[in-house]
Amino acid sequence: MQPLIFLQQGDKAWIKRVGGAEETKRFLAGLGFVENAEVSVISKLNGNLIVNIKDSRVAINEDMAKRIMV
Amino acid sequence: MAVKIALAGNPNCGKTTMFNALTGANQYVGNWPGVTVEKKEGKVKSRKGKEEVIVTDLPGIYSLSPYTLEEVVSRDYLLNEDPDVIIDLVDATNIERNLYLTTQLIETGIPVVIALNMSDLLAKNNIKIDVKRLSMLIGCPIIETSALKGTGLNEVIDEAVKVAKKSEHKLPGEIFEEDIEKAVSDVQGMLPDSISENKKRWYAVKLLERDSKVKENKKFPHAVLNQAETEAKELEKVHDDDMESIITDGRYNYIQKLVASTVKKAKGQLTVSDKIDRIVTNRILGIPIFLIVMAVVYYISVTTIGTIVTDWTNDVFVVAIQDAVSSGLGAIGAGDLVTGLVVDGIIGGVGAVLGFVPQMAILFLFLSLLEDCGYMVRIAFVMDRIFRHFGLSGKSFIPLLISSGCGIPGIMASKTIEQDNDRRLTIMTATFIPCGAKLPVIALMGGVMASYATGSYVAGGFVAPLMYFIGILAVLVSAIILKKTKPFSGKPAPFVMELPQYHIPSAKTVLMHVWERLKGFIIKAGTILFLACVVMWFLGGFGFADGGFGMVEDSNNSLLAVIGGVIAPLFAPLGFGEWQPVAASLSGFTAKEAIVSTMGVLANVAGDTEDAVNVAQGVAAWFPTTIAAFSFLLFNLLDSPCLAAIATMAQQMQSRKWFWFAIAFQNIFAYLVCLSVYQIGSFVMGGAFGIGTAAGFIVAIIFLVLLFRPDPYKNQKVYTKTSVQAAR
Repeated sequence: MQPLIFLQQGDKAWIKRVGGAEETKRFLAGLGFVENAEVSVISKLNGNLIVNIKDSRVAINEDMAKRIMV
Repeated sequence: MAVKIALAGNPNCGKTTMFNALTGANQYVGNWPGVTVEKKEGKVKSRKGKEEVIVTDLPGIYSLSPYTLEEVVSRDYLLNEDPDVIIDLVDATNIERNLYLTTQLIETGIPVVIALNMSDLLAKNNIKIDVKRLSMLIGCPIIETSALKGTGLNEVIDEAVKVAKKSEHKLPGEIFEEDIEKAVSDVQGMLPDSISENKKRWYAVKLLERDSKVKENKKFPHAVLNQAETEAKELEKVHDDDMESIITDGRYNYIQKLVASTVKKAKGQLTVSDKIDRIVTNRILGIPIFLIVMAVVYYISVTTIGTIVTDWTNDVFVVAIQDAVSSGLGAIGAGDLVTGLVVDGIIGGVGAVLGFVPQMAILFLFLSLLEDCGYMVRIAFVMDRIFRHFGLSGKSFIPLLISSGCGIPGIMASKTIEQDNDRRLTIMTATFIPCGAKLPVIALMGGVMASYATGSYVAGGFVAPLMYFIGILAVLVSAIILKKTKPFSGKPAPFVMELPQYHIPSAKTVLMHVWERLKGFIIKAGTILFLACVVMWFLGGFGFADGGFGMVEDSNNSLLAVIGGVIAPLFAPLGFGEWQPVAASLSGFTAKEAIVSTMGVLANVAGDTEDAVNVAQGVAAWFPTTIAAFSFLLFNLLDSPCLAAIATMAQQMQSRKWFWFAIAFQNIFAYLVCLSVYQIGSFVMGGAFGIGTAAGFIVAIIFLVLLFRPDPYKNQKVYTKTSVQAAR
């Protein structure tokens, strides 16, 4: 298990766990960040990521990407 | 009784586009999530001979648990206002994520009709959906629509009305695994009869999730709460997870099963959007690309095409009208008074602003294109890295971008910011970015400034991009200073935002945006500016001279000169101590274009009535140096916005204390910045050292100290309220 920020551009993985505060987790779940969802990295800039999840493209910064384990 | 329909769905799935198509309204649409931050009601047109239908457009939501303020609006409406039926817009190209909300909407017990929107894009994206089967499985009607193309709209409304009129509604169905469903039905069975049958499932699930808000709002018998708690504990043990996650997983598992048997899609390769994203959000190129794009936008808007038309309007068109009207009025025997009012006051003032309409049109065109193609949200993402250094999230950049068109929607857009103190900070600083109405001021003063250097009034094109970047800089400076104070301290919320797909902007949308905004300005020119011009002409042309009240020969004897003269000394240290620019700045609070129209009136009044003058020439006489002209422009960029924007600030701050703080901050900040810029600037340019210069340096040093002092709250764990918590 590693945080999402360790993935490289083009990598694909399955989410194992989402951490963080309740509200944040709920919000991320609404966007599709839940266990077993497939996530792939479109681009990466200094720890901030653009990922593909459930057919949508989501920009996510380092702080948040650290809390998502894949 | 009219049928009440709510439009709900994920952000940026086309709700407002559909609302506009249904009602004929012109609500603002854009290609990014979070455009709509308020609910809007409208009557569906083209319902001849059928019952009346009222639709409500709601801000987009990902779930019924709000994360930001605009989502609270939607949640509250859906749960408390009892619409007869919900039309749930589902983005057909992103069906799985969209259906997550659908499962929650169905659970509310309000009948749901699904509008499978953007269905025209299915073929292009190689997606096949078995609509009939999906509808059967999920238990509500599905209509394929395209809000943009206008297909399927009548059908979806007819279906919604049909569903709303049924006397018996189907109860929300089971979607979870067996053991969870058993817990739900156990709790459901114990709920008191005061809760209607169709709402029971929703409450049962919420109680299992231990939703504190639901528990607080309704008094449930202890037996029910105990039962829910026991069941939740049992499930958590079996599933080895917390209850909320179990429910969330349950929903997605259910959707996955649905989608597996009804949706076929080609495995995606890199789309064009992905390729563009790799370039524009590139860590080296991202920011330079943005800077170049904005510089080009502003440069082109005020020079090239913009100036050609503006110059023609100002120098030929307005002058020709002034001449024609002047001689016409002379011919019918109108007195000097009437001629003066019409020619100098109204045409001179309003005309000075109307001349800049072409420049505004071009700026709006560019901004609409940037917004509609999908680039804007990417800029926010790219800027997040920079903004985070200064304690703000990239999300704060969106209100700033919107403000470059108009500050009012810019301030409204701050509603999507998660942290309450960051939201307030953004409201306070959003109008530092020059809006469309400030563009005429910038263009005029740019010309004045250029005239000192080159003798020509045209070469001021570089000033517009400069003012834009100064605006951003002012936001950052304010953010750094304020973030080191207690009320604004704390880390910004993490940046998470859905990125819209790039698309070629639709001509209709873009032209509508440009037209709507221009229309606003033209209406303003005919109302507020018109009035302001008449008032300014009167104040600037009349006064006490030669022992009586009347029209004065020398406008330095006018009422305005007296009033402006009282305040003017206050602005002398900033370089514009003449009464004319002070009066113009004050009139800017009605609308920022009024600065230009007032200058137009005053320049005309001062000039020879027979011969219309170039406004810029007249204006140049009031400023001793380029620095003085620049300081005036800077002050009007940074001080409080127009009254309409001030009212929006008051409404969005939701606190009288913070509203007045914002007003005080904006004006004091503007004053002090201009003081040090003018004083130090003049000294550097070879001026003498005086008390003013000393004050300028002292203020500059204070600014530097505030900027670079260590952050006293840096390593403290500061608890900051989110906007949603603060609003409770």
